[in-house]
Amino acid sequence: MRISTSWGAQQAVNTMLDRQYDLSQTQLALGNGKAIQTPSDNPAAAARAVDVSSASAQNDQYTRNIQSANTKLSAEESTLSSAGDILDRIRTLTLEGMNGTQTDQSRQSIATELRQTLGQLVALGNTKDGQGEYLFAGSRTSTQPFTLSDLSVSYGGDQNQRMVAAAAGLQVATGDSGSDVFMSIRGGNGTFVTTAGATNTGTGVVGATSVTDASQWDGGSYTVNFTSATTYEIHDATNPTGPALSTGTYSGDSGTINFKGAQLNITGTPAAGDSFAVAPSSSQDVFSTVAGIITAFETPGGGAGMNNQLNAQLQNLDQAQTSFTDTRTKIGARMNILDQQTQISADTSLQYAGTLSDLTELDVASAASKFSQQQAALDAAQQSYVKMQNLSLFNYLK
Amino acid sequence: MADLLSTGVSGLLASQVGLSTVGHNISNVNTAGYTRQTTTFNARTPEYNGGYYVGQGADAISVQRAYSQFLTQSVWSASSGQSRASQYATLTASVNNAVSGSANLQTALDGFFGSVSDVANAPIDTASRQAMIGKANTLVATFKSLSSQFQQLDQQTNQQISAAVDSINSLAKSIADLNGQIQKGYAGGAVPNDLLDARDQAVSQLSQIVGVNVTQTSDHMYTVSVGNGQPLVNGTDATQLSTANNQYDSSRLEVVGPGGSVISNQLGSGSLGATFDFRTNVLDPARNQLGRAAIAMTDAFNKQSAQGIDLNGAAGGDFFSISDPAVFNSTTNKGTGSVAATVADVSKLDASDYIMRFDGTNWSATTTAGVTVPMTGTGTAADPFVVGGLNVTVSAGAVAGDSFQIQPTRNAASTMSVAVSDTSKIAASGPLAATKGASNTGKGVLGNLTVTDVTNPAFNTPATITFTSPTTYSINGGAPQAYADGDTITGPGWTLKLTGSPAANDTFSVKPAGSASGDNGNALAMANVATKGVLDNGVTTVGKSYSQLIAQVGTAGAQANTALTAQQSILDQATASQQSLSGVNMDEEAANLLRFQQSYAAAAQVINTANTIFNSLLTAVQG
Repeated sequence: MRISTSWGAQQAVNTMLDRQYDLSQTQLALGNGKAIQTPSDNPAAAARAVDVSSASAQNDQYTRNIQSANTKLSAEESTLSSAGDILDRIRTLTLEGMNGTQTDQSRQSIATELRQTLGQLVALGNTKDGQGEYLFAGSRTSTQPFTLSDLSVSYGGDQNQRMVAAAAGLQVATGDSGSDVFMSIRGGNGTFVTTAGATNTGTGVVGATSVTDASQWDGGSYTVNFTSATTYEIHDATNPTGPALSTGTYSGDSGTINFKGAQLNITGTPAAGDSFAVAPSSSQDVFSTVAGIITAFETPGGGAGMNNQLNAQLQNLDQAQTSFTDTRTKIGARMNILDQQTQISADTSLQYAGTLSDLTELDVASAASKFSQQQAALDAAQQSYVKMQNLSLFNYLK
Repeated sequence: MADLLSTGVSGLLASQVGLSTVGHNISNVNTAGYTRQTTTFNARTPEYNGGYYVGQGADAISVQRAYSQFLTQSVWSASSGQSRASQYATLTASVNNAVSGSANLQTALDGFFGSVSDVANAPIDTASRQAMIGKANTLVATFKSLSSQFQQLDQQTNQQISAAVDSINSLAKSIADLNGQIQKGYAGGAVPNDLLDARDQAVSQLSQIVGVNVTQTSDHMYTVSVGNGQPLVNGTDATQLSTANNQYDSSRLEVVGPGGSVISNQLGSGSLGATFDFRTNVLDPARNQLGRAAIAMTDAFNKQSAQGIDLNGAAGGDFFSISDPAVFNSTTNKGTGSVAATVADVSKLDASDYIMRFDGTNWSATTTAGVTVPMTGTGTAADPFVVGGLNVTVSAGAVAGDSFQIQPTRNAASTMSVAVSDTSKIAASGPLAATKGASNTGKGVLGNLTVTDVTNPAFNTPATITFTSPTTYSINGGAPQAYADGDTITGPGWTLKLTGSPAANDTFSVKPAGSASGDNGNALAMANVATKGVLDNGVTTVGKSYSQLIAQVGTAGAQANTALTAQQSILDQATASQQSLSGVNMDEEAANLLRFQQSYAAAAQVINTANTIFNSLLTAVQG
């Protein structure tokens, strides 16, 4: 076959240009380490890389969300821990004040300390997080939630809980409203409250109360009326003059009274005509509880009336302590979930990084070997071109 | 008797022609389109000399091209194909470069949604709100940057179309001129080889721009038509093509034939055909896909924003804004009617453009490619035509034959903007807050408060749920309803889940969250828009639609590169065959040079011999 000299030369040049282009592409890839320079190099992988890097970015965002939630939860945890310590101190002071050796004056000084402690408790309720938002204000995070005026505390927040997105479809609360933690604490033993009659003259003091049989407790309001130091009648509080629902015998100091599944432990000796009201628990805030204790200590006289009030408030104080502990347990559970999720996110992140690297990153070893092959091909093309160009009959015409 | 001298001279002259032809070949070794020429020799008519014929030498009777019409036509056809593939690959590569450049939409989307999450983590923090607006602006800038790169490519195609049409016209004129010269050249009886080469070369150049069909008339002229038989050159007449604005969209050029009809889609192969093909099949879909993503982003985010309230306690406004679909009147419209379109349902929006036609009584919709699209409604504002997720209204005044083009998505990305600049206007908070009554004695616990319809007229009316018994409740004193643990209570535009056992007289209230709310309910929901299927009937996320765009242009690019490789090898083979016949080989020319040099020297020797013989005769006569 005839070869056209100029076309032959052009073909040889084209071959060299092609080899050079291949070489430069490999060099570019080696230079920036990318397997995909433009989507057309590998459309499916390029599109997938976009999806994966987006999923990875989202995963990183979840990790950041969790960090921010952890900061908030830790702050809440440590605040509630301090608040629990304060409640312990209040309990100690109260028991100290109930000691029979105390006088009106010494009780007054305990009340003074308790007032300061109440202030501390309110201050803890008004704790701010690192971003200057109140921890316990629900979603009114720029409004001070608790305001102390003399002994009464009002709540200015709401009952919302702020959530954080910890993973796709997983939202975890980053806090608890002050309403839940400090305000909505069920009084008494959590089921009912017992109040001594204001006109009681005996020394009967209600101690621990409990529900021994939940199936019998109907949530009604009742009155325990002592007809003598050892006998009593149970009346429906809504119908105090009606017939007694049941009657019983009080065995004396440290005896128990049982009715409708409820049990009251009473110490001392009640007088005939003394009464104790039993009503379903409603919520009482921890500040009112402390205020109740302060008021009881500041009221001169002491005695069974004070002890009855203080016993009731100590029950409330225990409920508050339980509320704090429960909340701290919930916080712990949430932080656990977040820690697990952080671990999962870290694993996922590694997977994404691996996939992304498989999709887009250059296999340097094979690219380097490809580079030397292409170099050899270009070298061969150049050398053969030079040799071919020297082969001309005109060289022999002298 | 035969004259040895004139026989020798004839050989001398014939060899000279041969040498000239070799020289011409050697000189034109690098001339594009040159066809190798050969000299044909013939023995002169012999002289009858009684009992025998005596030869009288040789004549060079013709100089011919080593030419095959078939091989040349093959090259033209292959060259059209290669040039088309090359142009298509180049243009597609520029789209690929645009999407693989710095303007990475996915990164911008990730950054923006990350900032929304940050607002959810610190909803009343001005710095995170400011950062969200900043990231939103980055996102919009990325949309705009991609859109403007695509727009520039569109303008480049216009320039290329214009330049190609100029080249076609000038080449057509050259071919027509050469037709005339060749006809005159043949008039002398000889073949004007180099003019034929020049004409073939002009046709070859034309074939690179547009597919050609060439026939030869009996008087050696070429009749050239392009595309689907549009006559371009007929004898010495060349028709001129021209460009005109698109009937609807004045920003794009079309090619108009001599009859005034648009022939853009009939150009077939060649670089010009590739330019139109690229515009229709790569650039427009890519621009529409980008615009669709921008519309989906705007729509989905604004809808979620409207579900929340801002720091002032006001309902969330639009966070992004984007313009309505563009509608273009046809330049041929006779009536005064107009058409307007709005996006009604993003989940049904696709990347098509639509033509609305009026036949005098009815309107019909087709895609730009001519496929009929189903349409419901009557076109009034109350009952608009619904076409592919669009609401289309038409005004009176259109006459039969009028048409309008709707481009729902084409330039949407470039019109996107961030509508919020005041950080307090970000609707991060849920609109309502639920509260448990302070004196509740039961154990009912508030669960999720979900907003279902912010447009409910009673949505913002505070509602109190009062339990009249542990299993019955009423809302704002309305009809009693039954309750069981874990039930969902439905109010006007919201639902509230309650768990536990409330007691009689317990209350729960739902009321507007009010201003300065540090709630992050809506911010969480807005961050979730990232993973929400909003397009293609609620399947495709905004981010996914961008990776679809990447796959789309990537595939087009990969196909274009494969096609280019194939077309290049076809062209190489066709050229190699044609060059094998018509190309100049220097070794061959060197051999021919030697051959004619030798025959020239030998013929000179014949003359010398004739001279010697004559001298011998003279010497003999002189005695």
